[in-house]
Amino acid sequence: MTTTLSAPKRTAGRLSLLRRSPKLTIGILLILLLVAIGLSAPLVAQAIGGGQDPTETAAFPRWLKPSGAHPLGTDQYGRDILVMVCRGVLVSLQIGAIAGLVSTVIGVIVAFVGGYLGGFVDTVLSFFTSILLVVPTFPLLITLSAYAKEVTLFEVGLMLSIFSWPFAARTIRSQVLTLRTRAYVDLAKTTNSRDLEIIFKELLPNLLPYVMVGFATSALGSIFGLIGLEVIGLGPAGVIDLGHLIFVAISTGALTLGAWPLFVVPIILLTALFAGLNLINIGLEEVYNPRLRSVSGV
Amino acid sequence: MTEPADAKAVRAAETAVAAEAPDGAGASIRAEHLVQRFGSGRGAVLAVDDVSFELDREPARIVSLVGQSGSGKSTIARQVLGLQRPTSGAVTYGGKDVLRLNRKQRSEFRRNVQPVFQDPYAIFNPFYRVDRVFWTAVRKLTDLPNKRAADEAIRDSLRAVKLQPESVLGRYPHQLSGGQRQRIMLARIHLLRPQFVIADEPTSMLDAQTRRGFLDILQDFRVRYGITTLFITHDLSSVHYLGGDIMVINKGRIVEQGAVAEVMAAPSHDYTRLLLASVPAPDPDQRWTERIDIGQIR
Ligand SMILES: Nc1ncnc2c1ncn2[C@@H]1O[C@H](COP(=O)(O)OP(=O)(O)O)[C@@H](O)[C@H]1O
Ligand SMILES: [Mg+2]
Repeated sequence: MTTTLSAPKRTAGRLSLLRRSPKLTIGILLILLLVAIGLSAPLVAQAIGGGQDPTETAAFPRWLKPSGAHPLGTDQYGRDILVMVCRGVLVSLQIGAIAGLVSTVIGVIVAFVGGYLGGFVDTVLSFFTSILLVVPTFPLLITLSAYAKEVTLFEVGLMLSIFSWPFAARTIRSQVLTLRTRAYVDLAKTTNSRDLEIIFKELLPNLLPYVMVGFATSALGSIFGLIGLEVIGLGPAGVIDLGHLIFVAISTGALTLGAWPLFVVPIILLTALFAGLNLINIGLEEVYNPRLRSVSGV
Repeated sequence: MTEPADAKAVRAAETAVAAEAPDGAGASIRAEHLVQRFGSGRGAVLAVDDVSFELDREPARIVSLVGQSGSGKSTIARQVLGLQRPTSGAVTYGGKDVLRLNRKQRSEFRRNVQPVFQDPYAIFNPFYRVDRVFWTAVRKLTDLPNKRAADEAIRDSLRAVKLQPESVLGRYPHQLSGGQRQRIMLARIHLLRPQFVIADEPTSMLDAQTRRGFLDILQDFRVRYGITTLFITHDLSSVHYLGGDIMVINKGRIVEQGAVAEVMAAPSHDYTRLLLASVPAPDPDQRWTERIDIGQIR
Protein backbone atom coordinates (compact mmCIF):
# COMPACT_ATOMS: atom_id res chain seq x y z
CA MET A 1 0.00 0.00 0.00
CA THR A 2 1.52 3.23 -1.08
CA THR A 3 -0.68 5.17 1.29
CA THR A 4 1.12 3.85 4.33
CA LEU A 5 4.19 5.70 3.14
CA SER A 6 2.55 9.04 3.73
CA ALA A 7 2.13 8.29 7.40
CA PRO A 8 4.66 10.20 9.45
CA LYS A 9 6.62 8.34 12.07
CA ARG A 10 5.43 9.79 15.31
CA THR A 11 8.75 9.09 16.89
CA ALA A 12 10.30 11.66 14.56
CA GLY A 13 8.87 14.44 16.72
CA ARG A 14 6.65 17.36 16.07
CA LEU A 15 9.23 19.42 14.22
CA SER A 16 8.98 17.19 11.18
CA LEU A 17 5.37 18.35 10.88
CA LEU A 18 6.59 21.86 10.27
CA ARG A 19 9.07 20.73 7.69
CA ARG A 20 6.28 18.96 5.87
CA SER A 21 4.17 22.08 5.54
CA PRO A 22 5.73 25.46 4.84
CA LYS A 23 2.25 26.98 5.13
CA LEU A 24 1.89 25.77 8.69
CA THR A 25 5.35 27.07 9.50
CA ILE A 26 4.72 30.51 8.05
CA GLY A 27 1.32 30.70 9.76
CA ILE A 28 2.80 29.86 13.14
CA LEU A 29 5.65 32.31 12.63
CA LEU A 30 3.21 35.09 11.73
CA ILE A 31 1.16 34.48 14.85
CA LEU A 32 4.28 34.30 17.00
CA LEU A 33 5.41 37.60 15.54
CA LEU A 34 2.06 39.18 16.42
CA VAL A 35 2.23 37.75 19.93
CA ALA A 36 5.71 39.23 20.26
CA ILE A 37 4.44 42.64 19.12
CA GLY A 38 1.56 42.43 21.58
CA LEU A 39 3.77 41.37 24.46
CA SER A 40 6.26 44.14 23.73
CA ALA A 41 3.60 46.78 24.48
CA PRO A 42 4.79 47.54 28.05
CA LEU A 43 8.40 47.89 26.90
CA VAL A 44 7.46 50.15 24.01
CA ALA A 45 5.26 52.23 26.30
CA GLN A 46 8.12 52.59 28.75
CA ALA A 47 10.55 53.61 26.00
CA ILE A 48 8.21 56.18 24.48
CA GLY A 49 6.44 57.48 27.56
CA GLY A 50 9.41 57.35 29.91
CA GLY A 51 7.32 56.41 32.92
CA GLN A 52 4.19 58.19 31.76
CA ASP A 53 1.33 56.51 29.91
CA PRO A 54 1.91 57.51 26.28
CA THR A 55 -1.75 56.79 25.42
CA GLU A 56 -3.24 59.21 27.90
CA THR A 57 -5.18 62.10 26.37
CA ALA A 58 -2.84 64.99 25.57
CA ALA A 59 0.26 63.06 26.54
CA PHE A 60 1.89 64.59 23.48
CA PRO A 61 0.98 67.17 20.84
CA ARG A 62 -1.74 65.92 18.49
CA TRP A 63 -1.18 64.71 14.94
CA LEU A 64 2.58 64.42 15.20
CA LYS A 65 4.20 63.00 12.06
CA PRO A 66 6.20 59.79 12.42
CA SER A 67 9.61 60.54 13.91
CA GLY A 68 12.31 58.94 16.05
CA ALA A 69 10.43 59.74 19.25
CA HIS A 70 7.09 58.58 17.85
CA PRO A 71 7.75 56.05 15.08
CA LEU A 72 4.09 56.04 14.05
CA GLY A 73 3.20 59.56 15.15
CA THR A 74 0.30 60.59 17.42
CA ASP A 75 -3.46 60.82 16.98
CA GLN A 76 -6.14 63.41 17.48
CA TYR A 77 -5.77 63.29 21.28
CA GLY A 78 -1.98 63.31 21.23
CA ARG A 79 -1.69 59.59 22.01
CA ASP A 80 1.25 57.58 20.71
CA ILE A 81 0.06 55.40 17.85
CA LEU A 82 2.77 52.73 18.12
CA VAL A 83 1.87 51.97 21.72
CA MET A 84 -1.83 51.91 20.87
CA VAL A 85 -1.15 49.51 18.03
CA CYS A 86 0.93 47.17 20.21
CA ARG A 87 -1.79 47.11 22.86
CA GLY A 88 -4.45 46.69 20.18
CA VAL A 89 -2.69 43.60 18.84
CA LEU A 90 -2.61 42.10 22.30
CA VAL A 91 -6.31 42.78 22.85
CA SER A 92 -7.24 41.32 19.46
CA LEU A 93 -5.21 38.21 20.21
CA GLN A 94 -6.78 37.87 23.65
CA ILE A 95 -10.24 38.17 22.16
CA GLY A 96 -9.35 35.49 19.65
CA ALA A 97 -7.91 33.22 22.32
CA ILE A 98 -10.87 33.56 24.69
CA ALA A 99 -13.56 33.27 22.05
CA GLY A 100 -11.62 30.53 20.24
CA LEU A 101 -11.22 28.51 23.42
CA VAL A 102 -14.84 28.83 24.52
CA SER A 103 -16.08 28.07 21.00
CA THR A 104 -13.84 25.07 20.73
CA VAL A 105 -14.99 23.63 24.03
CA ILE A 106 -18.66 24.10 23.10
CA GLY A 107 -18.02 22.93 19.54
CA VAL A 108 -16.16 19.80 20.66
CA ILE A 109 -18.88 18.84 23.11
CA VAL A 110 -21.68 19.43 20.61
CA ALA A 111 -19.81 17.67 17.82
CA PHE A 112 -18.85 14.64 19.87
CA VAL A 113 -22.13 14.17 21.66
CA GLY A 114 -24.15 14.65 18.49
CA GLY A 115 -21.79 12.97 16.07
CA TYR A 116 -21.11 9.98 18.24
CA LEU A 117 -24.52 9.32 19.71
CA GLY A 118 -26.38 10.25 16.52
CA GLY A 119 -30.15 9.95 16.43
CA PHE A 120 -32.43 12.49 18.07
CA VAL A 121 -29.71 14.22 20.09
CA ASP A 122 -27.70 14.81 16.94
CA THR A 123 -30.73 16.08 15.06
CA VAL A 124 -31.44 18.68 17.73
CA LEU A 125 -27.83 19.80 18.07
CA SER A 126 -27.31 19.96 14.31
CA PHE A 127 -30.46 22.02 14.02
CA PHE A 128 -29.12 24.65 16.42
CA THR A 129 -25.72 24.60 14.79
CA SER A 130 -27.20 25.16 11.35
CA ILE A 131 -29.46 27.93 12.55
CA LEU A 132 -26.54 29.84 13.98
CA LEU A 133 -24.59 29.20 10.81
CA VAL A 134 -27.24 30.49 8.43
CA VAL A 135 -28.83 33.25 10.51
CA PRO A 136 -27.00 36.51 9.79
CA THR A 137 -25.24 36.84 13.12
CA PHE A 138 -23.91 40.32 12.54
CA PRO A 139 -27.20 42.14 13.24
CA LEU A 140 -27.59 39.94 16.31
CA LEU A 141 -24.15 40.95 17.46
CA ILE A 142 -25.06 44.59 16.98
CA THR A 143 -28.19 44.11 19.07
CA LEU A 144 -26.28 42.30 21.76
CA SER A 145 -23.58 44.91 21.92
CA ALA A 146 -26.19 47.61 22.34
CA TYR A 147 -27.02 46.02 25.68
CA ALA A 148 -23.42 45.44 26.61
CA LYS A 149 -22.01 48.79 27.66
CA GLU A 150 -19.52 48.19 30.43
CA VAL A 151 -18.10 44.81 29.59
CA THR A 152 -14.79 43.16 30.26
CA LEU A 153 -12.56 41.65 27.66
CA PHE A 154 -13.60 38.19 28.82
CA GLU A 155 -17.28 38.98 28.49
CA VAL A 156 -16.74 40.25 24.97
CA GLY A 157 -14.93 37.04 24.12
CA LEU A 158 -17.77 35.02 25.60
CA MET A 159 -20.36 37.01 23.65
CA LEU A 160 -18.50 36.47 20.40
CA SER A 161 -18.12 32.75 21.02
CA ILE A 162 -21.90 32.38 21.03
CA PHE A 163 -21.69 33.05 17.33
CA SER A 164 -18.48 31.31 16.46
CA TRP A 165 -18.83 27.90 18.13
CA PRO A 166 -20.95 26.52 15.28
CA PHE A 167 -17.92 26.80 12.99
CA ALA A 168 -15.88 24.64 15.34
CA ALA A 169 -18.78 22.24 15.86
CA ARG A 170 -19.38 21.76 12.16
CA THR A 171 -15.72 21.13 11.34
CA ILE A 172 -15.33 18.59 14.11
CA ARG A 173 -18.69 16.85 13.77
CA SER A 174 -18.16 15.91 10.16
CA GLN A 175 -14.91 14.23 11.20
CA VAL A 176 -16.56 12.46 14.13
CA LEU A 177 -19.09 11.07 11.69
CA THR A 178 -16.42 9.56 9.50
CA LEU A 179 -14.45 8.18 12.43
CA ARG A 180 -17.22 6.75 14.57
CA THR A 181 -17.92 3.92 12.12
CA ARG A 182 -14.29 2.88 12.05
CA ALA A 183 -13.58 -0.70 12.92
CA TYR A 184 -11.40 0.37 15.82
CA VAL A 185 -14.42 1.97 17.45
CA ASP A 186 -16.31 -1.31 17.08
CA LEU A 187 -13.34 -3.16 18.50
CA ALA A 188 -13.30 -0.80 21.48
CA LYS A 189 -17.00 -1.48 22.02
CA THR A 190 -16.49 -5.22 21.96
CA THR A 191 -13.62 -4.71 24.42
CA ASN A 192 -16.25 -3.28 26.78
CA SER A 193 -15.02 0.32 26.59
CA ARG A 194 -17.52 2.93 27.68
CA ASP A 195 -18.78 5.66 25.38
CA LEU A 196 -16.77 8.36 27.13
CA GLU A 197 -13.61 6.29 26.84
CA ILE A 198 -14.27 5.81 23.16
CA ILE A 199 -14.84 9.52 22.64
CA PHE A 200 -11.78 10.65 24.55
CA LYS A 201 -9.33 7.86 23.82
CA GLU A 202 -10.28 6.58 20.38
CA LEU A 203 -11.77 9.59 18.62
CA LEU A 204 -10.41 12.77 20.16
CA PRO A 205 -6.68 12.06 19.63
CA ASN A 206 -7.32 11.49 15.95
CA LEU A 207 -9.30 14.70 15.74
CA LEU A 208 -6.84 17.03 17.46
CA PRO A 209 -5.85 18.64 14.16
CA TYR A 210 -9.50 19.37 13.47
CA VAL A 211 -9.95 20.70 16.97
CA MET A 212 -7.09 23.07 16.24
CA VAL A 213 -8.66 24.04 12.94
CA GLY A 214 -11.92 24.66 14.79
CA PHE A 215 -10.06 26.85 17.26
CA ALA A 216 -8.32 28.89 14.59
CA THR A 217 -11.54 29.33 12.61
CA SER A 218 -13.53 30.50 15.61
CA ALA A 219 -10.73 32.77 16.80
CA LEU A 220 -10.59 34.32 13.37
CA GLY A 221 -14.37 34.70 13.19
CA SER A 222 -14.49 36.33 16.62
CA ILE A 223 -11.66 38.75 16.02
CA PHE A 224 -13.19 39.93 12.78
CA GLY A 225 -16.71 39.90 14.16
CA LEU A 226 -15.58 42.34 16.81
CA ILE A 227 -13.76 44.43 14.24
CA GLY A 228 -16.94 44.62 12.22
CA LEU A 229 -18.66 46.07 15.26
CA GLU A 230 -15.81 48.46 16.03
CA VAL A 231 -15.54 49.82 12.54
CA ILE A 232 -19.16 50.89 12.55
CA GLY A 233 -18.67 52.36 16.01
CA LEU A 234 -20.64 49.81 17.98
CA GLY A 235 -17.76 48.13 19.76
CA PRO A 236 -17.91 47.69 23.50
CA ALA A 237 -16.44 50.66 25.32
CA GLY A 238 -13.11 50.08 26.97
CA VAL A 239 -11.96 47.35 24.62
CA ILE A 240 -9.29 48.92 22.44
CA ASP A 241 -8.37 46.37 19.81
CA LEU A 242 -7.11 46.83 16.28
CA GLY A 243 -10.63 47.35 15.00
CA HIS A 244 -11.16 50.19 17.44
CA LEU A 245 -8.05 51.91 16.11
CA ILE A 246 -9.35 51.65 12.58
CA PHE A 247 -12.64 53.17 13.74
CA VAL A 248 -10.78 56.04 15.40
CA ALA A 249 -8.74 56.57 12.24
CA ILE A 250 -11.82 56.71 10.08
CA SER A 251 -13.94 58.85 12.39
CA THR A 252 -11.26 61.47 13.03
CA GLY A 253 -10.19 61.74 9.42
CA ALA A 254 -6.69 60.62 10.28
CA LEU A 255 -5.90 59.75 6.69
CA THR A 256 -6.59 63.23 5.36
CA LEU A 257 -4.54 64.74 8.16
CA GLY A 258 -1.48 62.71 7.22
CA ALA A 259 -1.71 60.33 10.19
CA TRP A 260 -1.91 57.34 7.88
CA PRO A 261 -0.17 54.91 10.26
CA LEU A 262 -3.23 54.90 12.53
CA PHE A 263 -5.16 53.36 9.67
CA VAL A 264 -2.57 51.46 7.68
CA VAL A 265 -0.64 49.72 10.45
CA PRO A 266 -3.68 48.07 12.09
CA ILE A 267 -4.82 46.95 8.64
CA ILE A 268 -1.43 45.38 7.94
CA LEU A 269 -1.41 43.63 11.30
CA LEU A 270 -4.96 42.36 10.82
CA THR A 271 -4.00 41.06 7.42
CA ALA A 272 -1.08 39.25 9.01
CA LEU A 273 -3.38 37.82 11.68
CA PHE A 274 -5.88 36.68 9.08
CA ALA A 275 -3.19 35.16 6.89
CA GLY A 276 -1.47 33.52 9.88
CA LEU A 277 -4.57 31.78 11.22
CA ASN A 278 -5.69 30.72 7.77
CA LEU A 279 -2.27 29.36 6.88
CA ILE A 280 -2.34 27.33 10.10
CA ASN A 281 -5.75 25.97 9.09
CA ILE A 282 -4.69 25.04 5.60
CA GLY A 283 -1.36 23.68 6.80
CA LEU A 284 -3.02 21.42 9.37
CA GLU A 285 -5.43 20.05 6.80
CA GLU A 286 -2.56 19.47 4.44
CA VAL A 287 -0.51 17.57 6.97
CA TYR A 288 -3.24 15.55 8.66
CA ASN A 289 -5.93 14.93 6.10
CA PRO A 290 -4.05 12.52 3.86
CA ARG A 291 -2.82 10.63 6.88
CA LEU A 292 -6.18 10.27 8.55
CA ARG A 293 -7.56 9.07 5.26
CA SER A 294 -4.83 6.60 4.47
CA VAL A 295 -4.05 4.97 7.78
CA SER A 296 -7.51 4.57 9.14
CA GLY A 297 -8.71 3.42 5.74
CA VAL A 298 -11.71 5.33 4.40
CA MET B 1 0.91 -26.20 16.08
CA THR B 2 -1.00 -24.50 13.31
CA GLU B 3 -0.57 -27.20 10.69
CA PRO B 4 -3.90 -28.19 9.18
CA ALA B 5 -5.44 -30.60 11.60
CA ASP B 6 -6.36 -33.84 9.94
CA ALA B 7 -9.73 -35.32 10.56
CA LYS B 8 -8.63 -37.95 13.05
CA ALA B 9 -6.75 -35.51 15.23
CA VAL B 10 -9.71 -33.18 15.15
CA ARG B 11 -12.13 -35.83 16.29
CA ALA B 12 -9.80 -36.90 19.09
CA ALA B 13 -9.42 -33.36 20.22
CA GLU B 14 -13.13 -32.69 20.11
CA THR B 15 -13.64 -35.32 22.75
CA ALA B 16 -10.91 -33.74 24.84
CA VAL B 17 -12.45 -30.28 24.53
CA ALA B 18 -15.85 -31.42 25.66
CA ALA B 19 -14.15 -32.81 28.77
CA GLU B 20 -12.28 -29.63 29.77
CA ALA B 21 -14.78 -27.01 28.72
CA PRO B 22 -14.32 -23.74 30.70
CA ASP B 23 -16.92 -21.97 32.85
CA GLY B 24 -20.05 -20.77 31.23
CA ALA B 25 -20.12 -23.85 29.06
CA GLY B 26 -23.57 -24.38 27.75
CA ALA B 27 -24.14 -20.72 27.07
CA SER B 28 -25.02 -20.50 23.41
CA ILE B 29 -25.71 -17.69 21.00
CA ARG B 30 -29.12 -17.68 19.45
CA ALA B 31 -30.28 -15.45 16.64
CA GLU B 32 -34.06 -15.25 16.75
CA HIS B 33 -35.98 -13.95 13.76
CA LEU B 34 -33.50 -11.18 13.07
CA VAL B 35 -34.71 -8.47 10.75
CA GLN B 36 -32.77 -5.39 9.73
CA ARG B 37 -34.23 -2.62 7.67
CA PHE B 38 -32.12 0.38 6.71
CA GLY B 39 -33.70 3.64 5.69
CA SER B 40 -37.37 4.14 5.00
CA GLY B 41 -39.76 4.73 2.15
CA ARG B 42 -38.56 4.07 -1.37
CA GLY B 43 -34.89 3.85 -0.46
CA ALA B 44 -35.43 1.26 2.26
CA VAL B 45 -33.21 -1.80 2.23
CA LEU B 46 -34.20 -5.07 3.85
CA ALA B 47 -30.68 -6.21 4.72
CA VAL B 48 -31.62 -9.10 7.01
CA ASP B 49 -34.90 -10.90 6.54
CA ASP B 50 -36.03 -13.21 9.35
CA VAL B 51 -32.76 -14.95 10.14
CA SER B 52 -32.57 -17.50 12.93
CA PHE B 53 -29.73 -19.80 13.91
CA GLU B 54 -27.92 -21.09 16.92
CA LEU B 55 -24.20 -21.26 17.71
CA ASP B 56 -23.34 -24.02 20.13
CA ARG B 57 -20.20 -24.80 22.02
CA GLU B 58 -20.62 -28.50 22.54
CA PRO B 59 -18.89 -29.57 20.53
CA ALA B 60 -17.05 -26.45 19.36
CA ARG B 61 -17.70 -25.91 15.68
CA ILE B 62 -16.89 -23.70 12.79
CA VAL B 63 -20.03 -22.41 11.17
CA SER B 64 -19.56 -20.63 7.89
CA LEU B 65 -22.00 -17.99 6.75
CA VAL B 66 -21.67 -17.75 2.99
CA GLY B 67 -23.26 -15.31 0.63
CA GLN B 68 -22.36 -12.76 -1.94
CA SER B 69 -21.55 -9.16 -1.26
CA GLY B 70 -24.55 -7.20 0.03
CA SER B 71 -26.44 -10.28 1.19
CA GLY B 72 -26.52 -9.07 4.81
CA LYS B 73 -23.62 -10.99 6.35
CA SER B 74 -21.88 -8.08 8.04
CA THR B 75 -25.15 -6.80 9.38
CA ILE B 76 -25.81 -10.16 11.02
CA ALA B 77 -22.28 -10.14 12.47
CA ARG B 78 -22.87 -6.70 13.96
CA GLN B 79 -26.21 -7.75 15.38
CA VAL B 80 -24.66 -10.81 16.99
CA LEU B 81 -21.89 -8.67 18.48
CA GLY B 82 -24.43 -6.26 19.93
CA LEU B 83 -23.15 -3.44 17.72
CA GLN B 84 -26.33 -3.08 15.70
CA ARG B 85 -29.85 -2.99 17.07
CA PRO B 86 -32.04 -5.23 14.92
CA THR B 87 -35.25 -3.75 13.56
CA SER B 88 -36.95 -6.75 15.10
CA GLY B 89 -35.91 -10.06 16.54
CA ALA B 90 -33.09 -10.53 19.01
CA VAL B 91 -29.74 -12.09 19.64
CA THR B 92 -29.48 -13.91 22.93
CA TYR B 93 -26.45 -15.11 24.80
CA GLY B 94 -27.13 -17.62 27.53
CA GLY B 95 -30.82 -16.93 26.99
CA LYS B 96 -30.56 -13.15 27.50
CA ASP B 97 -30.98 -10.43 24.88
CA VAL B 98 -27.48 -9.09 24.25
CA LEU B 99 -28.77 -5.52 24.10
CA ARG B 100 -30.38 -5.76 27.54
CA LEU B 101 -27.58 -7.14 29.63
CA ASN B 102 -26.71 -5.66 32.97
CA ARG B 103 -23.15 -4.63 33.66
CA LYS B 104 -22.01 -8.02 34.88
CA GLN B 105 -23.75 -9.92 32.12
CA ARG B 106 -22.34 -7.61 29.50
CA SER B 107 -18.86 -8.11 30.81
CA GLU B 108 -19.44 -11.87 30.64
CA PHE B 109 -20.78 -11.54 27.09
CA ARG B 110 -17.82 -9.43 25.96
CA ARG B 111 -15.35 -11.83 27.49
CA ASN B 112 -16.86 -14.71 25.63
CA VAL B 113 -17.93 -13.31 22.29
CA GLN B 114 -15.19 -11.57 20.33
CA PRO B 115 -14.84 -10.32 16.76
CA VAL B 116 -12.27 -10.52 14.04
CA PHE B 117 -13.07 -7.89 11.47
CA GLN B 118 -12.49 -7.78 7.76
CA ASP B 119 -10.15 -4.85 7.34
CA PRO B 120 -6.81 -5.36 9.08
CA TYR B 121 -6.01 -1.69 8.47
CA ALA B 122 -9.06 0.00 9.91
CA ILE B 123 -9.08 -2.18 12.99
CA PHE B 124 -6.17 -0.32 14.55
CA ASN B 125 -6.40 3.18 15.88
CA PRO B 126 -3.62 4.93 13.95
CA PHE B 127 -2.87 7.10 16.96
CA TYR B 128 -1.51 4.28 19.10
CA ARG B 129 1.06 1.52 19.04
CA VAL B 130 -0.41 -1.90 18.36
CA ASP B 131 0.36 -3.01 21.93
CA ARG B 132 -2.60 -1.00 23.11
CA VAL B 133 -5.01 -3.49 21.53
CA PHE B 134 -3.70 -6.08 23.97
CA TRP B 135 -3.48 -3.88 27.01
CA THR B 136 -7.02 -2.59 26.67
CA ALA B 137 -8.19 -6.18 26.32
CA VAL B 138 -6.18 -7.22 29.38
CA ARG B 139 -7.53 -4.36 31.44
CA LYS B 140 -11.15 -4.73 30.41
CA LEU B 141 -11.63 -8.41 29.89
CA THR B 142 -9.11 -10.52 31.78
CA ASP B 143 -8.19 -11.25 35.38
CA LEU B 144 -4.46 -11.34 34.84
CA PRO B 145 -2.99 -10.44 38.21
CA ASN B 146 -0.24 -8.02 37.24
CA LYS B 147 1.68 -6.35 34.46
CA ARG B 148 4.31 -9.04 34.27
CA ALA B 149 1.80 -11.84 33.94
CA ALA B 150 -0.06 -9.86 31.30
CA ASP B 151 3.10 -9.12 29.35
CA GLU B 152 4.01 -12.79 29.43
CA ALA B 153 0.51 -13.78 28.29
CA ILE B 154 0.63 -11.26 25.42
CA ARG B 155 3.96 -12.60 24.22
CA ASP B 156 2.71 -16.17 24.47
CA SER B 157 -0.32 -15.27 22.40
CA LEU B 158 1.79 -13.60 19.73
CA ARG B 159 4.00 -16.66 19.51
CA ALA B 160 0.91 -18.86 19.31
CA VAL B 161 -0.06 -17.15 16.05
CA LYS B 162 3.52 -17.31 14.79
CA LEU B 163 4.43 -13.70 15.34
CA GLN B 164 7.65 -12.72 17.02
CA PRO B 165 6.70 -10.45 19.92
CA GLU B 166 9.78 -8.29 19.35
CA SER B 167 8.88 -7.63 15.74
CA VAL B 168 5.39 -6.28 16.41
CA LEU B 169 5.28 -4.87 19.94
CA GLY B 170 6.12 -1.19 20.15
CA ARG B 171 5.20 -0.63 16.51
CA TYR B 172 2.56 1.55 14.96
CA PRO B 173 -0.08 -0.18 12.82
CA HIS B 174 1.15 1.34 9.57
CA GLN B 175 4.52 -0.28 10.15
CA LEU B 176 3.05 -3.79 9.94
CA SER B 177 1.73 -5.81 7.02
CA GLY B 178 -1.92 -6.76 6.56
CA GLY B 179 -1.15 -10.35 7.46
CA GLN B 180 0.67 -9.30 10.63
CA ARG B 181 -2.17 -7.08 11.67
CA GLN B 182 -4.76 -9.78 11.15
CA ARG B 183 -2.62 -12.21 13.14
CA ILE B 184 -2.47 -9.69 15.94
CA MET B 185 -6.24 -9.90 16.05
CA LEU B 186 -5.92 -13.67 16.33
CA ALA B 187 -3.35 -13.23 19.09
CA ARG B 188 -5.89 -11.06 20.85
CA ILE B 189 -8.39 -13.90 20.55
CA HIS B 190 -5.79 -16.30 21.87
CA LEU B 191 -5.20 -14.00 24.82
CA LEU B 192 -8.89 -13.65 25.63
CA ARG B 193 -9.93 -17.26 24.88
CA PRO B 194 -13.56 -16.35 24.22
CA GLN B 195 -16.16 -19.07 23.69
CA PHE B 196 -17.21 -17.59 20.38
CA VAL B 197 -15.44 -15.74 17.60
CA ILE B 198 -17.44 -13.78 15.07
CA ALA B 199 -15.12 -13.43 12.10
CA ASP B 200 -16.47 -11.19 9.34
CA GLU B 201 -14.54 -11.93 6.15
CA PRO B 202 -11.29 -11.99 8.10
CA THR B 203 -9.29 -13.36 5.20
CA SER B 204 -10.70 -11.45 2.27
CA MET B 205 -7.83 -8.98 2.30
CA LEU B 206 -5.08 -11.55 2.75
CA ASP B 207 -3.14 -13.36 0.05
CA ALA B 208 -3.63 -17.09 -0.45
CA GLN B 209 -0.72 -18.27 1.66
CA THR B 210 -1.49 -15.99 4.58
CA ARG B 211 -5.15 -16.92 4.36
CA ARG B 212 -4.43 -20.58 4.74
CA GLY B 213 -2.30 -19.93 7.82
CA PHE B 214 -5.14 -17.87 9.26
CA LEU B 215 -7.72 -20.61 8.74
CA ASP B 216 -5.37 -23.15 10.33
CA ILE B 217 -5.17 -20.99 13.42
CA LEU B 218 -8.97 -20.76 13.64
CA GLN B 219 -9.14 -24.53 13.38
CA ASP B 220 -6.45 -24.87 15.99
CA PHE B 221 -8.34 -22.58 18.37
CA ARG B 222 -11.40 -24.75 17.98
CA VAL B 223 -9.49 -27.91 18.70
CA ARG B 224 -7.37 -26.62 21.57
CA TYR B 225 -9.59 -24.14 23.32
CA GLY B 226 -13.05 -25.17 22.19
CA ILE B 227 -13.71 -21.87 20.43
CA THR B 228 -16.75 -21.86 18.16
CA THR B 229 -16.35 -19.59 15.18
CA LEU B 230 -18.96 -17.94 13.00
CA PHE B 231 -16.87 -17.64 9.86
CA ILE B 232 -18.31 -15.16 7.39
CA THR B 233 -17.03 -15.32 3.87
CA HIS B 234 -17.83 -15.25 0.21
CA ASP B 235 -15.02 -17.66 -0.53
CA LEU B 236 -16.29 -21.24 -0.84
CA SER B 237 -12.83 -22.73 -0.99
CA SER B 238 -12.19 -21.46 2.54
CA VAL B 239 -15.44 -23.05 3.67
CA HIS B 240 -14.45 -26.32 2.08
CA TYR B 241 -11.06 -26.17 3.75
CA LEU B 242 -12.51 -25.47 7.18
CA GLY B 243 -15.31 -28.00 7.11
CA GLY B 244 -17.92 -27.90 9.87
CA ASP B 245 -21.28 -26.34 9.12
CA ILE B 246 -22.46 -23.94 6.49
CA MET B 247 -25.31 -21.48 6.23
CA VAL B 248 -25.98 -20.03 2.81
CA ILE B 249 -27.48 -16.56 2.75
CA ASN B 250 -29.13 -14.86 -0.18
CA LYS B 251 -30.70 -11.41 -0.05
CA GLY B 252 -30.92 -11.43 3.72
CA ARG B 253 -32.43 -14.89 4.03
CA ILE B 254 -30.74 -18.12 4.99
CA VAL B 255 -31.67 -20.43 2.14
CA GLU B 256 -29.81 -23.55 3.16
CA GLN B 257 -27.87 -24.93 6.09
CA GLY B 258 -26.18 -28.13 7.14
CA ALA B 259 -22.83 -29.87 7.28
CA VAL B 260 -20.41 -28.47 4.72
CA ALA B 261 -19.72 -31.86 3.16
CA GLU B 262 -23.39 -32.64 2.73
CA VAL B 263 -24.47 -29.28 1.42
CA MET B 264 -21.62 -29.16 -1.04
CA ALA B 265 -22.28 -32.70 -2.22
CA ALA B 266 -26.03 -32.31 -2.57
CA PRO B 267 -27.22 -28.72 -2.51
CA SER B 268 -30.98 -28.52 -2.14
CA HIS B 269 -31.48 -24.89 -3.00
CA ASP B 270 -31.07 -23.34 -6.43
CA TYR B 271 -28.99 -20.50 -5.12
CA THR B 272 -26.54 -22.88 -3.44
CA ARG B 273 -26.28 -24.84 -6.67
CA LEU B 274 -25.50 -21.64 -8.49
CA LEU B 275 -22.80 -20.83 -5.96
CA LEU B 276 -21.23 -24.24 -6.25
CA ALA B 277 -21.39 -24.25 -10.02
CA SER B 278 -19.19 -21.21 -10.06
CA VAL B 279 -16.49 -22.98 -8.09
CA PRO B 280 -13.95 -24.77 -10.27
CA ALA B 281 -13.39 -28.47 -9.65
CA PRO B 282 -11.53 -28.73 -6.37
CA ASP B 283 -7.89 -29.03 -7.24
CA PRO B 284 -5.84 -29.24 -4.06
CA ASP B 285 -2.95 -27.34 -5.57
CA GLN B 286 -4.94 -24.70 -7.30
CA ARG B 287 -7.42 -24.05 -4.58
CA TRP B 288 -5.14 -21.72 -2.74
CA THR B 289 -3.69 -19.87 -5.59
CA GLU B 290 -6.94 -18.95 -7.24
CA ARG B 291 -9.55 -17.12 -5.29
CA ILE B 292 -13.04 -18.28 -5.83
CA ASP B 293 -15.02 -15.18 -5.32
CA ILE B 294 -18.74 -15.63 -5.37
CA GLY B 295 -19.09 -11.89 -4.92
CA GLN B 296 -18.63 -11.82 -8.68
CA ILE B 297 -21.54 -14.07 -9.51
CA ARG B 298 -24.51 -12.28 -10.88
N1 LIG C 1 -25.58 1.28 8.07
C1 LIG C 1 -26.24 1.00 6.93
N2 LIG C 1 -27.12 1.89 6.43
C2 LIG C 1 -27.79 1.63 5.30
N3 LIG C 1 -27.68 0.49 4.60
C3 LIG C 1 -26.82 -0.44 5.04
C4 LIG C 1 -26.05 -0.24 6.23
N4 LIG C 1 -25.29 -1.34 6.44
C5 LIG C 1 -25.57 -2.18 5.43
N5 LIG C 1 -26.49 -1.65 4.59
C6 LIG C 1 -27.05 -2.31 3.40
O1 LIG C 1 -27.52 -3.57 3.80
C7 LIG C 1 -27.22 -4.54 2.83
C8 LIG C 1 -26.40 -5.66 3.45
O2 LIG C 1 -25.14 -5.17 3.78
P1 LIG C 1 -24.03 -6.05 4.51
O3 LIG C 1 -24.63 -6.63 5.73
O4 LIG C 1 -22.83 -5.22 4.67
O5 LIG C 1 -23.78 -7.20 3.44
P2 LIG C 1 -22.51 -8.15 3.25
O6 LIG C 1 -21.69 -8.08 4.48
O7 LIG C 1 -23.08 -9.49 3.01
O8 LIG C 1 -21.78 -7.65 2.06
C9 LIG C 1 -26.51 -3.82 1.70
O9 LIG C 1 -27.46 -3.53 0.71
C10 LIG C 1 -26.00 -2.58 2.34
O10 LIG C 1 -25.93 -1.55 1.41
MG1 LIG D 1 -19.62 -7.57 4.68
